Amino acid sequence: MNYAALKSDTHEIVVDEVLPHAPETIWKALTTGELIGRWLMMPTGFEAVKGKRFTFQTTPGGAWDGVIHCQVLEATPNERLVYAWKGGHEGNVGYGSPLDTVVTFSLSRVESGTRLRLVHSGFVLPRNDGAFKKMGEGWKKCVPTIGAIAGEQVSSKEPH
Amino acid sequence: MIEAAAINAVMRTLADPTRRAVFERIVGSDEITVVELTRGSGVTQGAISQHLKSLKQAGLVAERPEGRNVFYRAEPEGLAPLVDWMSHYGVFWRDRFANLKTLLKEIDP
Repeated sequence: MNYAALKSDTHEIVVDEVLPHAPETIWKALTTGELIGRWLMMPTGFEAVKGKRFTFQTTPGGAWDGVIHCQVLEATPNERLVYAWKGGHEGNVGYGSPLDTVVTFSLSRVESGTRLRLVHSGFVLPRNDGAFKKMGEGWKKCVPTIGAIAGEQVSSKEPH
Repeated sequence: MIEAAAINAVMRTLADPTRRAVFERIVGSDEITVVELTRGSGVTQGAISQHLKSLKQAGLVAERPEGRNVFYRAEPEGLAPLVDWMSHYGVFWRDRFANLKTLLKEIDP
């Protein structure tokens, strides 16, 4: 097990593991709509074809509806699957803030099965990162922003 | 995934401008009493108490009784549901990898 998650310097998440299955089996789990739904989230419109657009519905936050907009950037059977992963809303901070990232799955055959490496890259960390964890000036700046988002959300949900 | 209810509770609590102002004043001081919060706020002590109750329920504020006074302080963990994307996805992908391994065992025992 090798979870090298949260590489803060490169702003990417890496999960890298050897799984006791053939690359073909793992490829099937990564590229079959129904199977994707069983381990990740149920995609809408997924096809392992370059250029194909699809979505995932996740938890909404603030002014964001929770939809992740994806597009297949590369699909090399049993080897490499890359898709764009975009979502969020510019009025949000933290969860629900603008997200323009790329998810890459790389498969390579090894003696005991397949090495599967996931890289989720392109994270832009907020300037006041850590402000939530630590008392300080950052808080005073981020709190009004949250309030603005929250206000937007509440007013949009109120009956007119 | 983060609970939608938790995100919405924090957002709803901070949506009210007066309540947000109260929260900001608590954040800006180590500890503060209702009397100090009321002073210069333009609203009654009863109203401040109501806002404090909401902030406590959302996990944004903690209280410490001492003698006849109650001191309030901000709880940084209360804003955790709004934590940044990268931390969110760090946990997310590890969970999903665990799901994937379970699924693979099922389809390819």
